[in-house]
Amino acid sequence: MLLPLSVKVVFSILTYILVATAVAIPFWILFNFFDQLIFFEPIWIFYLPEDAITGFILTTLISILIGMLVSMNIYAVRHFNLKISRRSLFSGSSMGIISSVCSSCSSVGFLLISTFGGIGIIASNLLTNYQTLLRIISIAILIFALYYINKRIIHSCVLVYKDHNMTTDQKNQRNSDF
Amino acid sequence: MTVSLVSSIAILTVLAFGTLSFSFHFIWSFFEHSMLLLAQTDDSLDPSTFPFSLSTLIKQGSPYLGNLSAPITIIDFSDFQCHLCARFVKNTEPLINETYIQTGQAALVFKHLPNRGFDSMGAHLAAQCTNDQGKFWQFYNLLYENQQGIDTGWVNEENLKKFASQIPGLEMGQFNSCFNSQKYREFIDNDVKLANSQGFFDTPNFIVVNSVDGSDPEIIRGAQPFPAFQSVIEKKLGELKK
Repeated sequence: MLLPLSVKVVFSILTYILVATAVAIPFWILFNFFDQLIFFEPIWIFYLPEDAITGFILTTLISILIGMLVSMNIYAVRHFNLKISRRSLFSGSSMGIISSVCSSCSSVGFLLISTFGGIGIIASNLLTNYQTLLRIISIAILIFALYYINKRIIHSCVLVYKDHNMTTDQKNQRNSDF
Repeated sequence: MTVSLVSSIAILTVLAFGTLSFSFHFIWSFFEHSMLLLAQTDDSLDPSTFPFSLSTLIKQGSPYLGNLSAPITIIDFSDFQCHLCARFVKNTEPLINETYIQTGQAALVFKHLPNRGFDSMGAHLAAQCTNDQGKFWQFYNLLYENQQGIDTGWVNEENLKKFASQIPGLEMGQFNSCFNSQKYREFIDNDVKLANSQGFFDTPNFIVVNSVDGSDPEIIRGAQPFPAFQSVIEKKLGELKK
């Protein structure tokens, strides 16, 4: 299967699979709760009507990607001692998570309506009418964040020669090896 | 060491998520409770509208489906522009109709809660006007079948009149007069106040009550599937048989 090396490396360890699952499941429940596919009252029930299939597939994908992303970030921080810079914070998992949570905003649109009146109605309508598009954008951002963390993990694996003790001949020999 | 740290981070993430969910739920509950208190202190709310006996609701002019002697009444607060309401109409309502309404065990009463967009009020005014001629449910089905994006113009004045003209037997002169004069504006405003007084600010929401006196209300929030309604209705029917 064509999986990035970093995904194979991280998810060959059971702990990271568990971390990804522990993160993905609550998000999956939350998204489906907002989309009115999961109910807890008067009975616990999950159902998937025809009109909700596309949204369900997209939110399931978002939940899985968030789980993977959080897990891979933890792996990167633990194994390569990578520091979470301002840049990585913005373009990494946090951005993905924020964008995904925003994709479910339309479900709480009535809060916007009640709080912000006319402007709230317009905002809520935009979120509802373009819900699918917003979710696709969220997935794109999450894939970008995964690509970014994949690059960081793979680059962290490259060995750096400490060549200050090498002679000129040794350096030439090493360069000719490449 | 690594495993324990990673596990700790995972547990912290889940805890943080739980805290976030709880906070959201708390804020939501507080918001709904505050709105409920505000609505209840509104002087314009007529206390005689409580409780929701079926005869009171019909007397008020609310559209209904079913037999007047049905022991259970389901009160539906919906918006014609709400896609979750359309989901209920397409997936759940036909089963409720077949199982409980057609068999005389339950009645369905419609209450207007236009809150999803600027065009919603017009759609509800038009729908209530069709009720004058006994055509509400045809118009209701027509609107939900043709539902499009919120405020995209699908329920503007022109389209509402087109929809009305598609209903066989609807006298357009009477409909236009009712619709243009906004005859039912106050009626719909009262429905909204009633919904808000019950803590309903989103759609759809339902109250299931005993038809005779409107007692023992049970709230069903959201476009829930048939088994959720079935559990509430069966429980009530069982209690009434005792």
